[in-house]
Amino acid sequence: MRRTKGFTAVATSILKWAVLVFFLLVALLPLCWLVLNSLKTNLELQTSPFAFPARPAFENYANAMAMANLPRLFLNSIIVAVGTVFLNLLVSSMAGFVLAREEWRGRDAVRTALEAGVLVPIIAFMVPYFTLVTKLGLYDKLYTLILVYAAINIPVSIFLITSFMRAIPKELEEAAIIDGCGFFQRYARVILPLSRSGLVTAGTFCFIYAWNEFVMAMLLTSSLSSRTIQLGIRFFTSQFITDYAGMFAAIVISMAPSVIGYVFLHNKIIAGLTAGAVKG
Amino acid sequence: MRKRRNPNAVKIALFLTPVLVLFTAFFVYPFVFTFVASLTRWRGIGAMRFIGFANFGKLLGDPTFRLAIRNNVIWALASGFVQVPLAALVALILAREPRGWKALRTIYFLPNVISTVALAMVWSALYNPQYGAFNAIRGLIGLAPRNYLGDPATALVSVIIQGVLYIGYFMIIILAAAMSIPRELYEAAEIDGATTLQQEFRITIPMLRGTLVTAITLAMAYGMRHFESTYLMTGGGPAYATTTMGIDLFNKMDALRYSEASAAGVILILLGTLVIVGIRKALGKGDPMAEAGQ
Repeated sequence: MRRTKGFTAVATSILKWAVLVFFLLVALLPLCWLVLNSLKTNLELQTSPFAFPARPAFENYANAMAMANLPRLFLNSIIVAVGTVFLNLLVSSMAGFVLAREEWRGRDAVRTALEAGVLVPIIAFMVPYFTLVTKLGLYDKLYTLILVYAAINIPVSIFLITSFMRAIPKELEEAAIIDGCGFFQRYARVILPLSRSGLVTAGTFCFIYAWNEFVMAMLLTSSLSSRTIQLGIRFFTSQFITDYAGMFAAIVISMAPSVIGYVFLHNKIIAGLTAGAVKG
Repeated sequence: MRKRRNPNAVKIALFLTPVLVLFTAFFVYPFVFTFVASLTRWRGIGAMRFIGFANFGKLLGDPTFRLAIRNNVIWALASGFVQVPLAALVALILAREPRGWKALRTIYFLPNVISTVALAMVWSALYNPQYGAFNAIRGLIGLAPRNYLGDPATALVSVIIQGVLYIGYFMIIILAAAMSIPRELYEAAEIDGATTLQQEFRITIPMLRGTLVTAITLAMAYGMRHFESTYLMTGGGPAYATTTMGIDLFNKMDALRYSEASAAGVILILLGTLVIVGIRKALGKGDPMAEAGQ
């Protein structure tokens, strides 16, 4: 029995590592290829697709920054992403507080309705979003994207923040009430600080969403002053069709904030994703 | 015994208002608006004129939209029955905590935090007939270059492969559930002489049933609304070979056919709901908490 198990164990082990390495390559090779290409000259791109560049062509990055208004678009994206995080966390934490810590009629129904929003296909709403935004005179404004992104992230944030706030022991809040804390102080001084971890997770999801979003940005903005970096790199190709190396450099620049954020916050992100899966 | 009225009622309403305003403006109103607009003739300006279900008749008779529905169904099937099984395979391997499993888990999820725009541009470049990596490999082994995204025969498969190979999200969900299965079950099976493979089929997969159903449901719902990476890589072409309902909706809107675009939105919502309800009927209930977790 030991012998047969030894053979199957070796075979399973080889297969197992083949699968793991395959998906490792799927995740990393396109990105490595991208970074490598961003450091080649356009000639090297054509003639030696797999070779390393003779000398890293960092000027591609300078070119990308200079040609496509990248700094402006990058700054716009930062404003939109930070604004989205701030607005979404403010409104979601207020609602989360009363959904998690107060008792009132219809509470569970409201919570279920808000959370069910994750199942709605937002792309079906291109027509109403566009008409609503133009009618309200919000077309082509940076803060419109903040408003839209913060709203779209409400279901996820409410889910994460409410589950976090519900887990805070009642005693802590009762102690605060005895100390004379009112409604607003319980929110600001007790519950908010104690749910910091949930807020960070929800905020990270908001940031990544807002940084990466493309469709609504394309639909709701038209000028440089309100366009985001995703639109910038998307339309880079049509503007500078011959400078592929510069395009690759621009893509690398556009990925930097989310990749760097992920390096530092990956545990929070993964924990946030599994918050539902483990509890169920 | 009736619940006492909460003395903070006004403050509660105050705290809920911002979320309710935003939710109404960007979820409830668009939902109602889409259904109403789909029953009218309307080009974005002026009054809507009620015309009943004519837009739906027109859409369902439109070969492009039918192709879009077909492509979304193919996306849904590929996501539910290729992407999720691959994610489950990787999750089951990682759940046994092989060397470096935490780092691998982190790396597998990395593409999920990168924008669809960036990934679509990288994959377009990889598929590019002149300088793409795939054609460079073909060149090395003496094959003629192929225009993967430009050829109707290969375009749909090429964009779907790009989509389903990124298993990170479903892998994370399944892995978390797999790791919460009590270890004692495996120890008992080990003593009874069950092989690893037998343990996976007799213990892990049955225990993960709810999570797997949830993952398949979500994957198929995402497949039914697939839009972004295809729009970015092929624009729905060549010759509508890769078009989806979302792309068709966008094109109709761009052509100022707002009411038809709204009807496309209604069909997109209804088919997505049908998939969710259908899967739950066919495979049983999933895990509601995981579903809400997105």
